[in-house]
Amino acid sequence: MTELATGGRRLVVTGTATAALLALSAVGIFLVAPEDADQGVIQRIFYYHVAIAITSLVAFGVAAIYGIRYLRTRRPEHDMVSVVAVGLGLFFSILVILTGSIWARASWGTWWVWEDPRLVTFLIVILLYSAYFMLRSSAEGERRARYSSIFAIAAFASVPLSFYSVRVAESFVHPVVFNSTGANMPDTMLVWFVVAQVAMLGLFLTLLQIELLQRRADDALKRLKLRLEGGV
Amino acid sequence: MGSGTQYVVAAYAVILFALVMYVVLLGLKAARMARETELLARLVEREDPVEDEPGPDGEGLSPEIESAGR
Amino acid sequence: MSARPQDAARVEAPPPLGARDALRPLAALIAKDLRLELRTRQTAVGMALFALITMVLFQFTVASRVDDATPFAGGIIWATLALTAVLAVSRAWAAEREGRVLDGLLVAPVSRGALLTAKACTIFVYMLALEIVVLPLAVVFFVEGASAGDLALAFAAAVLADLGIAALGSLVASLAAFARGRELLVPALFLPALLPVVIAAGGATHAVLGGAREVAEYQGYCLFLGVYAVVFTLVSYATYEYVFDD
Repeated sequence: MTELATGGRRLVVTGTATAALLALSAVGIFLVAPEDADQGVIQRIFYYHVAIAITSLVAFGVAAIYGIRYLRTRRPEHDMVSVVAVGLGLFFSILVILTGSIWARASWGTWWVWEDPRLVTFLIVILLYSAYFMLRSSAEGERRARYSSIFAIAAFASVPLSFYSVRVAESFVHPVVFNSTGANMPDTMLVWFVVAQVAMLGLFLTLLQIELLQRRADDALKRLKLRLEGGV
Repeated sequence: MGSGTQYVVAAYAVILFALVMYVVLLGLKAARMARETELLARLVEREDPVEDEPGPDGEGLSPEIESAGR
Repeated sequence: MSARPQDAARVEAPPPLGARDALRPLAALIAKDLRLELRTRQTAVGMALFALITMVLFQFTVASRVDDATPFAGGIIWATLALTAVLAVSRAWAAEREGRVLDGLLVAPVSRGALLTAKACTIFVYMLALEIVVLPLAVVFFVEGASAGDLALAFAAAVLADLGIAALGSLVASLAAFARGRELLVPALFLPALLPVVIAAGGATHAVLGGAREVAEYQGYCLFLGVYAVVFTLVSYATYEYVFDD
């Protein structure tokens, strides 16, 4: 009970901070940050696009870490964090694809480019972690948590490998170095990248907390139901 | 509004939309939970006056629940 | 420090194994799987036929569009091998499942690591046998002007890739061994995680069979395949004891 209470209080802190940072970053990105010389206004998509991408990877990393923790401690709370983190990671990944696709359309005229390693990697990531949920529905109880943890670890290990293989393959086919964020970013831009990044990480934490609270409440509710239906 | 700006706005609109839809989904889950909690509350309150099912000692939960309900 | 009685020690932990002791059950497990396969040849033949029809599929969907399919050969080969690998992974625990002997295996004094390593070795052997058939055939179907040296290099890259396939495949096979909807689950789990191998192996094969021999590309891709194999062997090593816990 007290866990849920302190959870609420923590949520207020992270939620408020996130909201403030999101607002601040929006103002900064649109009104303060200088316009990019090469790409023009379209470059402004990157602030959130990159921030969301990194946050998604952080989410999957958290899932892997809690997978390891579950395997060590066998506490269901750890599995719960893992699955929520994967869900959020997928949510953010889809956003990466959507914003990336809009950017591609703005820059290249097509809704998709295979030349952007980030876009392709996140497509792979979506396929990979969708399978995570297939795995979960194929097992039950303790085994489900165990298998999910193992797959969360293995999947996360494959993400950098996927990214590099796509990039290496692209560099052989298209020797032009595809650098979408610019080699030397002025500090006036960098600061807003950082703000956007922290805002997105805060968003992840906030949503994570909300979902965990909800799941815990759901769990308690189920236990209550069992008790009452099971008889006096 | 140049076409470039249109795309930027579209991108941020997508993010906003996704977030709000997420909130809606959370709301749906909360609604379901509220429904179930309410059902359980009614279930517990209904067990209050259990005259037709005397326990072995005749005590059962009834007295406590009655006093708690008041 | 009081000495524990011998019996209690033996009940609590198995006696320490020397290297040869550890290898013997492993060899036995692999031998069992391979002997079973040699008797029925079910999986190997099934895989070869599947690979063949897949290559025919690629011919009609991709290669027939061009006069010279050589630039596509590397990709076609590895798309074929990746899809066929799914079969090997799906079938990895089939014998134990159908014979219902898994419980017996788990109770036997064989370490979980040995079980999973044995499966990895079995998958490796299956892939090797498959490549002996597929690579020459693919060269005949799709490549113009390849030398024996090119084929040998392609084969070497394939062996490296097989290491990664075996490591990942063994892990996925164990996760899906008793799952409902295994036929859907295995490709969903296996292929996205295998993509780096497909990209790198396809690239390496293309570098030697796709026309001009690109040595730097080939080496880069092979290095990557090695890294992948190491990473997934480590992942398997870190998680193997948790796979079978029942």
